[in-house]
Amino acid sequence: MFRIIAENINVMYKTIGTAMKERNKEPIQEMAEKLVANGADLLDINLGPARKGGEELMAWVVETVHAVCSKPLYLDTSNVAAIEAGLKVHKESAGKAVINSISARPERMDKLWPLAAKYNAGAVALVLGVDGIPRDAAERAANAAMLMAAAADAGVSPEDVWIDPIVIPVNSQQQQVGYCTEFIGMLPEMAPGYSSTCGLSNVSNGSPEKLRPLLNQCYLMMLKHVGLTSAILDGLDREILGIARGERADLEKLIGDTMDGNPPDMSSLNEEQVSFVKTTNMIMGKTLYSDSWLDL
Amino acid sequence: MAVDLPKRAYSGAIREIVVGKGDKSFCVGGETAYPFYTFEGKIPNPPKFGLDILDIEPEGWAGALLEVYGDSVKNPVTWAKKCVELGADMVQLTLQGTDPNDKNLGADHAVLVAKQVSEAIDVPLAIWGTANAEKDVEVLRPIAEELSDRRLLIGPVIEENHKQLGAACLAYKHVAIASSPIDINLAKQLNVLLSNLGVTDENILIDPTVGGLGYGLEYTYSVMERARMAALTQQDDKLQFPIYCNLGIEVWKTKEAKLPDSEMNLGEHKQRGVLMEAITTSSLLASGADILIVRHPDTMKLGKQLVAEMLAG
Repeated sequence: MFRIIAENINVMYKTIGTAMKERNKEPIQEMAEKLVANGADLLDINLGPARKGGEELMAWVVETVHAVCSKPLYLDTSNVAAIEAGLKVHKESAGKAVINSISARPERMDKLWPLAAKYNAGAVALVLGVDGIPRDAAERAANAAMLMAAAADAGVSPEDVWIDPIVIPVNSQQQQVGYCTEFIGMLPEMAPGYSSTCGLSNVSNGSPEKLRPLLNQCYLMMLKHVGLTSAILDGLDREILGIARGERADLEKLIGDTMDGNPPDMSSLNEEQVSFVKTTNMIMGKTLYSDSWLDL
Repeated sequence: MAVDLPKRAYSGAIREIVVGKGDKSFCVGGETAYPFYTFEGKIPNPPKFGLDILDIEPEGWAGALLEVYGDSVKNPVTWAKKCVELGADMVQLTLQGTDPNDKNLGADHAVLVAKQVSEAIDVPLAIWGTANAEKDVEVLRPIAEELSDRRLLIGPVIEENHKQLGAACLAYKHVAIASSPIDINLAKQLNVLLSNLGVTDENILIDPTVGGLGYGLEYTYSVMERARMAALTQQDDKLQFPIYCNLGIEVWKTKEAKLPDSEMNLGEHKQRGVLMEAITTSSLLASGADILIVRHPDTMKLGKQLVAEMLAG
């Protein structure tokens, strides 16, 4: 079953950021309850870099959230000590915590996979390598293989490794989005039994605001079609949540057919369907991106 | 045994654009294959070369350039005539004097110089602004109106002023040089915007923005390469336009092209700049340039020779 990770408990959002700073539980708990009611399977706790006081803050947020819900949490910060502090207090009954994230860099892998094993947690395996963002699908696969090997060495089981392909904005690096899709499509064979996840909304970063939901929704269905098993999403956006839960089977079929080389007859489609087919073709790289891709 | 070389199947073609008016006008574009791939398709119109002149006497130009143009640079009219004598297919008048960060001369000056130059030569003329969105509208619009019978090339038309300059090209029947900052997606988008405005397909050229040798040439190369791939193999009709490369200004502003031998130990300065411009030229030709604006006539000669030899097969 496709899992939804809600991205909303994030220090960058004003209400949440202020609440974190003031150690005011209410807005955070309200948000957590809302996200769970909307169907989130996990909640991302994003503290940013959290260099100062990160440990204490992470422990506080985890306990605050777990006081009102029993969902596993993504512990999202670059501060390793803060992650460990979160792991220590993460409720066992909520399920396994997930470290977000471990890149394919020796210094990160050596430190963090053993930490995941020690606390019986999972982790996001981010295919970012020593040379930065991978240039194509093969480089993503090579980095993923390294992460999988390191996770296995540390004793973390496959389903607790959440492979993240690194979604890139389509408006500036259209080819990279293609490689990302291609890589996710390789996972069922290359990494059976492993989980996958992604920061979906990055695909539309930089595109016109009014077209971002369409891009996000379309790309989610495309990635689901090739086997993605979860995504980090806006837990307040009912449309994208519905798509994650599979409520738009009609569009999923249309997009799947388009991707599989059975394009629908455009004249038989309604306006919404045409938008999704056009967007699928554009994301696949069949037409070159421009902000006006829908008008062409 | 005879070997059958694999041939690419192209699905699109570059549009043919008429530049200028009268006997010396010419066509660019029309390609149905990648640059110089005469064995796969047609290259009906060889790439053309223009020389770049300024509306004011140049300051800080390389000795190699000043030497070849002599006193003609003191007057845009004599300078333009000199370019025609040297064999230029066209002339680009760069309105350096109107730069708000420099002399900031006004529309009156720009119109007068453009008119005089236009009357003095019979080859096609491009008018190039200073890429200041507002100032270019201020000076290029009245030029477009004044010279409405000349079918000028007018640029750079950028996203910020495409409505005003696009409308001027439309109203006075000139060709818009759609200029985007070394970005394939923005290049396409600007062409879409110009089309939406009503500028028709036979009146658009693409300026991908050129980086000179050592200063970003490879980025321009990639953008042009991808534009041609989209145009010819993906039927992307918003990129099926000839490409205009304003490269002379980029090459000759670098210290490697400008500095005298006493200050730079990189070969004789007279050859250094020309060779840098020639390498930039040949690279841009290989990636799809249809019009190349250079500053040194020797670069133009080398470029024309290369084009002739490549197309002779």
